[in-house]
Amino acid sequence: MKLRSSRIALYLGVAATCAVLLFPIYWLLVTAISPPADLRSLPPRFWPDVPQWQVFSRIAEERPMLLWLTNSTLAALGSVALSMTVSVFAGYALSRFRVRGGQSLGLFILTAKMLPATLLVIPLFGIFRSVGLIGSLWSVVLAHATLIVPFTTWMLKGYFDTIPRELEQAAMVDGCSPLGALFRVILPVATPGLAATALYGFVLSWSDYAYARTFLTNAQQSWTANLGITTMKGEYVTDWNEISAAAVFVALPILVIYLFLERYLVGGLTAGAEK
Amino acid sequence: MAGIRIENVRKSYGAVTVLRDFNLDIADGEFVVFVGPSGCGKSTMLKILAGLEEASGGRVLIGERDVTDLAPGDRDIAMVFQNYALYPHLTVARNMGFGLKMRGMDRGEIDRRVSEAAKILAVDHLLDRRPKELSGGQRQRVALGRAIVREPQAFLMDEPLSNLDAKLRVHMRAEISALHKRLGVTTIYVTHDQIEAMTMADRIVIMRDGEIQQIADPDTMFARPENLFVAGFIGSPGMNFLLGNVTADERGARVSLFGQDVCLPVPLAAVPGIAGRPVILGLRPEHIGPAHGPVSFAVRPRLVESLGSEKYIYVDLPHENRGAPADAKGADDERRGDALIARLVDAGAVATGEPITLSFDPARLHVFDAETHRAIR
Ligand SMILES: Nc1ncnc2c1ncn2[C@@H]1O[C@H](COP(=O)(O)OP(=O)(O)OP(=O)(O)O)[C@@H](O)[C@H]1O
Ligand SMILES: [Mg+2]
Repeated sequence: MKLRSSRIALYLGVAATCAVLLFPIYWLLVTAISPPADLRSLPPRFWPDVPQWQVFSRIAEERPMLLWLTNSTLAALGSVALSMTVSVFAGYALSRFRVRGGQSLGLFILTAKMLPATLLVIPLFGIFRSVGLIGSLWSVVLAHATLIVPFTTWMLKGYFDTIPRELEQAAMVDGCSPLGALFRVILPVATPGLAATALYGFVLSWSDYAYARTFLTNAQQSWTANLGITTMKGEYVTDWNEISAAAVFVALPILVIYLFLERYLVGGLTAGAEK
Repeated sequence: MAGIRIENVRKSYGAVTVLRDFNLDIADGEFVVFVGPSGCGKSTMLKILAGLEEASGGRVLIGERDVTDLAPGDRDIAMVFQNYALYPHLTVARNMGFGLKMRGMDRGEIDRRVSEAAKILAVDHLLDRRPKELSGGQRQRVALGRAIVREPQAFLMDEPLSNLDAKLRVHMRAEISALHKRLGVTTIYVTHDQIEAMTMADRIVIMRDGEIQQIADPDTMFARPENLFVAGFIGSPGMNFLLGNVTADERGARVSLFGQDVCLPVPLAAVPGIAGRPVILGLRPEHIGPAHGPVSFAVRPRLVESLGSEKYIYVDLPHENRGAPADAKGADDERRGDALIARLVDAGAVATGEPITLSFDPARLHVFDAETHRAIR
C-alpha cells in the first residue's frame, strides 16, 4: 500500500515535470496553427476551433526553409565531426594519462566553456575576415567547434573514467597498440557516451544564433534556420503563425534524432565488463 | 612455454617506492604465487611483467629473451584480471578469439582453438552470449579461456578469484590447479589469500612493502619462516608470539615461558651474545596439545570457539611473555598481544573458565631476534 502511494507520487512528479518541459513546445504548435485572432484572446484558447495546418505548406513554399535547415544541418554535422575528432583524443588523454600539468590543462579547457559566446565573437570575426571565411558556412563550423569542444572533451573524459583501465590493458596484452586498444575496445564500449556527447554538440550548434548572425548575415545562401527565422520578423507586421511554424520545423530534427539515438543514449553497455 | 627471470626490478612513483630490488628466477612450467598484504606491490610487479607498467630499473627475461622494453602484445604472455576485463561489446567467442585475431591468425584456426578451450572450461554453450549475460563464475572461466587460447609462454593472474563467493572460489582454485597440470604453462598468480597461496603454489613469494620476504615452497614456508612477518602471515589461525629474555648456561639458551624454564631449539653457538637479550618465540596453534607433554601448563581458557572438527582455545599470556610487536600479526586474524591460541582436534570437553592443561614441545618453537625480527636457527 505504502509502495503504491509512493509510486503514484513518483508518476505525478514525472507528469508535472513533463508538463512544464513540454508546454512551450505545445504552445509553439498551437500558435502556429491558430487563426491570428485567437492569438490575443483572453482567456487563451488551448486548441483552435479550425486548425490552420496549411501554414506549414505555406512557409515551406514561400520561405527557403529547406535551404536554411540544410545549412543548419551542415553546420551542426561539421562542427560535431570536428569537435568529436578532437575531444575523443583529448578526453581519453585527460582520463588516462598522468602528465605534468595535465590537470590544470583540463581545468583550462573547462574555463574556456565558461566564457560567453558573445565575448569570442569579435576576435573570431577578425580572424575569419582575415582568412576570408566570413559568409561561408565554414565560419560557423569552426566557431561552433570552439563552443562544443570544451563540453564534449569533459563529457567524454567523464565517460572514459567509468570504463575500467583493465579493458585496454587486456587489449594490449592481446596484442593491440595503445591506439588500437582505443579504437577496437574503448570506443565501441563508449558508444552510448559518444552518441550522447555528439548529440549534445549537435544541439549546441543547432541552437546558435549569435555566431550565425555575426558571420553570415550578408550571405543569404548560407543562412542557418535560426538566422532565417529572425528575418521573418517584419518591421511593422509580424506573422506569428509563420514564425511559429518555422520554429516547429527547426525543432523537429532534434526530436527525430533523439528518437533515433535513444537506444544508444540509454547506455548500459559497459555492464559485464567487470565482476 | 618458458621460464621467467626478474633481475633487480625497481619501481617508484615519484618519491614513493613501490618495489625495491626484486629478483626472482621462475622455472619453465612452475606455478609461482605472489602473496602479501594489500599495497605491497604484487599487482605492480605483475604489470611490469606484462609490460603494462614500466620498471624504474632492472630487467625482465621471458625464456632467454629480454622483454624489458617490449610492448605487452609482443611478450607472448596472457593475463587474467581481477575484474575479468572481458570486452563487453563482444560475444564470448570473440572475447576469447580477440588476441588470436590481433595476431592475424586465420578464422578457422581461431574457431578451432576457441571451441577447444571452451570445452575444457565448460563454457561451450555460452559462446554466443555477451559478458553481461554471464554469471560471475562463467565470466571467470571465459577470462581464463581468453588466456589459454593464446597458448602463451606464461599466464599472469591478478587475484582472479577474489570476486567469487567462497564456495566457487574453492572450486575454481582446484580447477586452475588442474588446468595448470594439464597445460604445464608457467604461471604467476597474485593473491592476498595465504590459503590460495599454500594450496596452489609450487613456490610462494611473500612480499611486504615492495620487498621479498621469503621465497619457498609451501611446506618450507610453513615449517621454516625466515622472519617474523612470514611466520605470522602463513597459517590460520596465525602463529602465536611470545616475548622472552634469554638466559644462557652450560645446557644451552633458555627462556621463561608460562613461568617455566624452557630450553630453546637453537645451539648457543648460532648466536653469540644472545644471553640477556629479548627474543620472540613463535608457536603454532596446532603445535599446542591437550594433556601433558614436554612443557605443560595449566590455564583457564578466556574463550573457546568450537568449529565442530576442532576447537580454538584462547588463553591469557603471562605478563612476562606479552608484548610481541604488532607487525607480527597474522594475515587474517586480529591477533591480540596478550592471548595465545591453541588449536585442538578431538580435545573432548573444554569450557571457558574451566581449568585445562596444555602442552607443547620446545623443539617446535621458532625463535626470532626481537630487534631484526629474523629467525635464529
Ligand atoms: N599510479 C600510481 N601512483 C602512485 N602510487 C601507486 C600507483 N599505482 C600503485 N601505487 C602504489 O603502489 C603500491 C603497490 O600497489 P599494488 O597495486 O601493486 O598493490 P597490491 O600488492 O597489488 O595490493 P592489493 O592486494 O590491494 O591489490 C600501493 O601502495 C599503491 O598505493
Ligand atoms: Mg593488486
